Amino acid sequence: MKRSKLSNNLRGGWAVLFVVLAVITAVIMFLPMWNVIVVGTSSTLDSGSSGLKLWWHEFSLEGFEYVFEVTKLARPFLNSLFVTTVGTVIQVFLAALAGYVLIQKELPFRNAISSFIMLTMMIPGDLTLISVYQLNKQLNLLNSYTGLILNGLISGFSIMMMRNYFQTVPYTLEEAARIDGSGEMGIFVKIYMPISLPGLATVFFMEYVARWNSIMLPATLVTDESLYTLPVMLKAMIMSTESTSGAQVAPNNAIMAAIIITTIPLLLIYIFAQKFLLNGISMGAVKE
Amino acid sequence: MKNKNLWKKVKRFRSIYILLIPVIAYFVVFSYYPLILGIVKSFQKVKLLGNSEFVGIDNYVTVFTGSQYHQAFVNSLIVGGGTFIFQFFWGLIIALVLNEIRNKIARSSFQTVTFIPYLLSWSVVGGLWITILSPTGMINGFLQLFQGSSFTPAAFMAEEKYARFIMIFTGAWKGAGYFAALFMASIVSIDTSLYEAARIDGATRIQQIRYITIPVIVPTMKVVAVLSVMGILRNFDQIFVMMNATISDKVKNLLYLIYEQGILKFNVGEATAAATLVLVATLLITQVVRKLLHYDQIYE
Repeated sequence: MKRSKLSNNLRGGWAVLFVVLAVITAVIMFLPMWNVIVVGTSSTLDSGSSGLKLWWHEFSLEGFEYVFEVTKLARPFLNSLFVTTVGTVIQVFLAALAGYVLIQKELPFRNAISSFIMLTMMIPGDLTLISVYQLNKQLNLLNSYTGLILNGLISGFSIMMMRNYFQTVPYTLEEAARIDGSGEMGIFVKIYMPISLPGLATVFFMEYVARWNSIMLPATLVTDESLYTLPVMLKAMIMSTESTSGAQVAPNNAIMAAIIITTIPLLLIYIFAQKFLLNGISMGAVKE
Repeated sequence: MKNKNLWKKVKRFRSIYILLIPVIAYFVVFSYYPLILGIVKSFQKVKLLGNSEFVGIDNYVTVFTGSQYHQAFVNSLIVGGGTFIFQFFWGLIIALVLNEIRNKIARSSFQTVTFIPYLLSWSVVGGLWITILSPTGMINGFLQLFQGSSFTPAAFMAEEKYARFIMIFTGAWKGAGYFAALFMASIVSIDTSLYEAARIDGATRIQQIRYITIPVIVPTMKVVAVLSVMGILRNFDQIFVMMNATISDKVKNLLYLIYEQGILKFNVGEATAAATLVLVATLLITQVVRKLLHYDQIYE
């Protein structure tokens, strides 16, 4: 039984080539991450010395102590957690709502609304950054949690994803509920939402990762350090090591510790919601 | 009569319209208004005090003739294009290799380790590589191992000659697993009996890869190409995190320059003109690439 499986494998030179490519790729991908873990849990002295650091000389949590006591990373961490969670929950809710509207066959002006939303996907946020900055200034949203949450609160992309999920719900289910006397909102809550839970999860996790990682908007909208999100704080830490201004320079183990802290929530999402993420990524590409 | 029907329908969906108001309002304020504001500002000279004055296409002339914009455009193309090509082939290799790994644990570990970098913020990936490329970092550690006592550590991030390669490599390092995941999505849809039939007909595994696996990925390759072309001129985060003064001539790209001019230096007119040009260029290039790849046939 085993033999018949093996017989359809690569053989000879090709097998060697594939193994070599696999090993090189795995090493190049893995070693930098491993290095982060080792340096992040090494003593400050070890992390700043030269030489290969792929195993602990001395295990130490000095880096973590530094980021919490000197860099005060707890605040940016909580900022990120708050802004990302609130923003994502609202995004999913609104995307579901708008997606549901777009599948109403009889809704007057449906096509106009649909084009209006689709067109926003053609407007790249990074290219309107300057006007977005001025808009936030006009609305008094600079240096505020509201501003951090409000910008990017809804996206055409998540609305389209939800619409696609809703389209797969069989019409007969809706009809049955209608006969039972459910109103529009009743149908939405009782029929569409439960069936589209995987869709909601996909949009949620995609958006969560994107928001957690976003740098450009928070770096533009926020100058007050108490409102820094994790990526902005991390960037400031990295930059301070390069400056010659004499500002407090974070040691290597502290930077790596900050990287580990920033990464943990994403790893958790990857471990527990991998299916939704991969699904969303391939859907996103195809829908483009 | 017809109008009356329409009104009736509108009334029936009244609650839905009301619920839609925040969504529409959001897009008006945060998408359409900035777009229009940007285009308007690109024809103005914005003053810190007093009203802005209309200056016609002056800002566009400044952008077209400004050497810093030329340099940024070249940098964007080289780093963006280089990253795309590197990432594309690396992603393809990962997907093909992944499809040949039979051991379940090895397979999922390989996929995880190649995909994780894509999930990380550029702050993380940038910070990681800046540290690894520093004089006390991992790369110098390896070099020291091979060169022994005559070794002097190099500050890779402070050398112009390495700058573009570092950006291209780290960009591909972060994104290769993403492309691989897209390729895998079409590979897993292949009916395994196809391979079986080919095998019975005497095809070797490499022939099966060549004539079954790769043709299946071709449409995805086109999607990936179109997606990436749209992003080539718009890579901000990486440069924002990884650029420093000594290498800025080689890697400062259009989006960063626009940010620098518009947000840090208040040259709003010039910056919005450049942003509008990048927007138009992106749309044009995307259309050309779509045509070249016969892209629109894929989803007919």
